[in-house]
Amino acid sequence: MKKFFNIYFTCIKTAMARALAYRLNFVLSMLIALGWNALFPLVTILIYGAGASFPGWDFYEVLLIQSVFLLSTGFAFMAFNGVLWSTMHHIREGSFEIVLLKPISPIFFMIAANFDPECVGMIVGGTVLFTIAIVHTGVASVMAVGQFLILFTAGFAVMAGINMLMAATSFKWVGNSRIPEIFDSMMEFGKYPATIFPKPLQGIAAFVFPVSMIGFFPAQALLGDLEMYMIISIIPCILFMLFGIFMYKHMIKLYEGVGG
Amino acid sequence: MRSIKHKIDICAAVAHVTIKEYLVYRSHMMVSLFVGPVYFVVQFFIWTAVYGDGGALVGFEYEQMIRYFGITALLGYVTWNSADWNLSMLIRTGRYLTFALRPLNHRFFALSQKIGHRLLAIGFELIPCTFIFILLFGIDMRPSNIGWFVLSVALAFFMNFYVNYCLGLASFWIVQTDGIRYLYALLSTIFAGALVPLVFFPVSLQFIQFFLPFQYISYVPVMVFLGEYRLGGFTLSIPAIVGIQGAAVIVMFILSEILYKSAMKRFTAVGA
Repeated sequence: MKKFFNIYFTCIKTAMARALAYRLNFVLSMLIALGWNALFPLVTILIYGAGASFPGWDFYEVLLIQSVFLLSTGFAFMAFNGVLWSTMHHIREGSFEIVLLKPISPIFFMIAANFDPECVGMIVGGTVLFTIAIVHTGVASVMAVGQFLILFTAGFAVMAGINMLMAATSFKWVGNSRIPEIFDSMMEFGKYPATIFPKPLQGIAAFVFPVSMIGFFPAQALLGDLEMYMIISIIPCILFMLFGIFMYKHMIKLYEGVGG
Repeated sequence: MRSIKHKIDICAAVAHVTIKEYLVYRSHMMVSLFVGPVYFVVQFFIWTAVYGDGGALVGFEYEQMIRYFGITALLGYVTWNSADWNLSMLIRTGRYLTFALRPLNHRFFALSQKIGHRLLAIGFELIPCTFIFILLFGIDMRPSNIGWFVLSVALAFFMNFYVNYCLGLASFWIVQTDGIRYLYALLSTIFAGALVPLVFFPVSLQFIQFFLPFQYISYVPVMVFLGEYRLGGFTLSIPAIVGIQGAAVIVMFILSEILYKSAMKRFTAVGA
């Protein structure tokens, strides 16, 4: 276990050094990420600014959901997003053997070697929005914080699963840079209060493709509105992550090293 | 006259080759058949919830708003291009030299390529998604005036191309244009009207849009489709706004011409 920690921290240090070699680019990338973050709740801001609302939700409650979603994706992108692009590159070039030859689990190596420090901008933006939201909504109780942390971790597991599934897809759908669009579009359902969607879609977002766990359920925990089905949906979140890992490992077994 | 026919022949030949080239990646384009409707479903339920029992929001009735997002999604398939990235890559790698040696203006070549690419997108993205929107969501996809709408969409395509080409030309001066391109993408996402109709913004921000290229790429053709145009406190007739859109495209064309000639003087074919 210690070996894995050492390798992971070495990879983080290397990624930081690599990013800081192009300081201006690093700072610009973070600033642009911050700009995109400002855009994230724009639709909500404009809707509420026009005097309309999502029924049963005030502005800061919706902002809380979206800030939690942003934080979760920020952490997940930092840890996993590079796996897709790196895998896609290796498959296209036929160079995945280099990864397979390393004396360590290929999936662990791909995650560690593709740590992305530029996602700090997303996390900073998410934290600012989260702080603004939580100051206005307040926290239901101390227990709510504990529930939030558990559900937030489950949401992180969903994001891990999504990233691993995307990377696994790139083994078969070689060089298709539109793979993230497919998953991004499905993640849209997690950015808004689930109650605006019909029940069947709410069920899918809770138990099949559990994107509600990325933002909506943890925010509900903080607001003190947690329901039993939200806690139960932790199970499909974990299964989803395991499925993503299984698919990635399965695709590695099928890899033939042809290149393109 | 012969010169024009020659240009049309070149455009048709380049577009034809581009179509053949991208037919290999048709499954990439068909991703839109899933992604487009899914994004639309989300918008559909957002606005269904927001409108609740009915009424109007900043002058938009519920049905108009749904049509707005439907046509916005479809319009992207016609106007999208990556001229900025393509040109930037050619300059950065030095491969632009092979184009500089050809007896053909690169901008015209790139435009012909994009025409071919978008013609393919009409077949693989636009038409299937239009049917999905009509049959699944029951959206009225009939424009208020088909002639003005087609003209406005064509102008939007040219506007997006010239703006992107100018961004790509920036590579002759600063080589790495990623930052500028991302910044433009950010502003364009906000101010083209794809996220939310521009009339939701403060009036001063709306007024500025008359002098920026963004609204001419998406908001104007969508409002022409709906048959009424308002922005920044002005209500304009459809011929008037399409005329302004045409003038904006001419300005952008002239700007790209100036930048192109200026860039050619700097080109050293060194690459990176």
